[in-house]
Amino acid sequence: MSVAESLAAVRPRSSRAVAFLVFAVAIALIAATPFLPNYYIRVIDSLLIYILLGIGLNIVIGYTGLLDLGFVAFYAVGAYSYALLASPQLDLHLPFLLILVVAACLGAITGILLGIPVLRLRGDYLAIVTLGFGEIVRIIINNVDWLTGGPKGIARLDKASILGIQIARPVDFFWLLLVVVLLAGLVAWRLERSILGKAWAAIREDQDAARGIGINTTNAKLAAFATSATIGSIAGAIFAASQRFVSPESFTLQESVLIVLMIVIGGIGNILGIVAGAAILILLPEVLREFAEWRILFLGLLMIFLIIVRPAGIVPRSFGPDKLIRRLFGK
Amino acid sequence: MTLVFNKLRKEYGQVVAIDDVTASFAPGLIHGVIGPNGAGKSTLINMTAGSYTVSAGSIMLDGKRLDKLKKYQIANSGVARTYQNIRLFDQMTALENLEVCFYPSDVGGTWKEVVWPPYASARRDRRREKCMEILRLFDLQGHADAEAGSLPYGRQRMLEIARALVCNPRLLLLDEPAAGLNHHETADLTAKLAAQRSPDRITIIVEHDMDLVMALCDNIIVMHHGKLLFQGTPAEVQASTDVQLAYLGTANDIDDIRAAAQDRRAQLGIRTRRRS
Repeated sequence: MSVAESLAAVRPRSSRAVAFLVFAVAIALIAATPFLPNYYIRVIDSLLIYILLGIGLNIVIGYTGLLDLGFVAFYAVGAYSYALLASPQLDLHLPFLLILVVAACLGAITGILLGIPVLRLRGDYLAIVTLGFGEIVRIIINNVDWLTGGPKGIARLDKASILGIQIARPVDFFWLLLVVVLLAGLVAWRLERSILGKAWAAIREDQDAARGIGINTTNAKLAAFATSATIGSIAGAIFAASQRFVSPESFTLQESVLIVLMIVIGGIGNILGIVAGAAILILLPEVLREFAEWRILFLGLLMIFLIIVRPAGIVPRSFGPDKLIRRLFGK
Repeated sequence: MTLVFNKLRKEYGQVVAIDDVTASFAPGLIHGVIGPNGAGKSTLINMTAGSYTVSAGSIMLDGKRLDKLKKYQIANSGVARTYQNIRLFDQMTALENLEVCFYPSDVGGTWKEVVWPPYASARRDRRREKCMEILRLFDLQGHADAEAGSLPYGRQRMLEIARALVCNPRLLLLDEPAAGLNHHETADLTAKLAAQRSPDRITIIVEHDMDLVMALCDNIIVMHHGKLLFQGTPAEVQASTDVQLAYLGTANDIDDIRAAAQDRRAQLGIRTRRRS
């Protein structure tokens, strides 16, 4: 048997083993998290929030191919929904689940409101307008003092609870976020596989040819913006509930760029890639904390290295959730 | 019922690309549109498919006015097309390129597809069955899971025509389907296009390859300087002195025209190979 043949014979089984290994490590990490000190659980909570944001933004950037640099606006809409509806600010104290629904709806509406004016734009132009949109939302929040508290933000938010179970400790948020991330990931993945997901891909590849086969690109794009913004907004509401404080500082352009970077480095258009990208960009700065200002340099070098070595991302589009499942359960 | 151009006109500023063309196209037939470069052949296709706006006149399909509709609405009225430069969804598989054409009929069930996996797989299987049928027709069944952009040029041409046919269009518009194909592939294409004939379908082919046009078309329209110069059967077109004088020069120049078409194909072939 030649070397190539023996390699071909070994490969399926070994890549299956790799898939199982990744799966087992993920389960072990999840099982171990509740026993870690609070500081680590907080880091993992923030990792999960970024994964959630990544899953949301990926619908627009990865699936539909529209570079949105203002995603943080939807995150802010969700966060301020919670802050205003569950705090002494307006003296409203609605239940957490209800606010999640309100935040999701407001997110979808803002998503469509952003979507309509940018429908005709692509590429650089779209990036600039969405970037402007993100900044506009932040600046409005910063200046409408009577409602949002301006730069001081809103403090003393209510403790969240679901059906009487209080969600306050980092570990509570860990379980909540885990469920929400898995749900959002499932919905995004199934959307990608649906006929709408195929239409998003067609728009990404050639918008004009997509129209030529009968796709109403306006509706398909608005659907992408709306679902993406809904997920971003839900992430914002959970973020606000976990911090119990919001201020405009959390919603700068830098956040949008960070989420885009996560997607690009992890693997654009692939949920598994987003997890990898978030793990690197969120966990590594924490690990490297002791190197102080050197860590930024280190992160920059790592990014350059990854982009050169794996230009399609750590986990490229071609190795999506479908493939992982096939490897695991061998269909 | 037919496709009708009524005093159709296209102007770019001072330039008149299509000059009051009136013509009708009967179903069940394959119509060829020929003419020298710049005669307005592709413009006709682009206006019919909604890629270009119409300056004046109208386009009617089965009594329904097409030229006021948006491009996707035209497609949903049963109009499918291919492009002069192949435009596939490169990073999608060959199968997905066809599957996505069922968007207009299936998009309403998207949320059901998301929340109810058995429904999704039933829908997907039904779509894919129809797609595989067309892929087999074009000898592409072995490439169903290959990325469209990675296929060889000839296969990409076939896939683009397959994509246009998958939803059984009422009107099929082919813009230079043989461009860049070699002799063997052109003969293959001719056979496949002959096989897709259906009594309900209007097929319009813009083409420079006279062998293909003469072998395939029942009715030929000759365009010259944006005007309709002649309409008739292949035999009538070949016999027409008008066409010979205006388009072919003299009867003896036919070989030169063939050579020019050959050159053009060679050029296209080189260009596209460089691109991919």
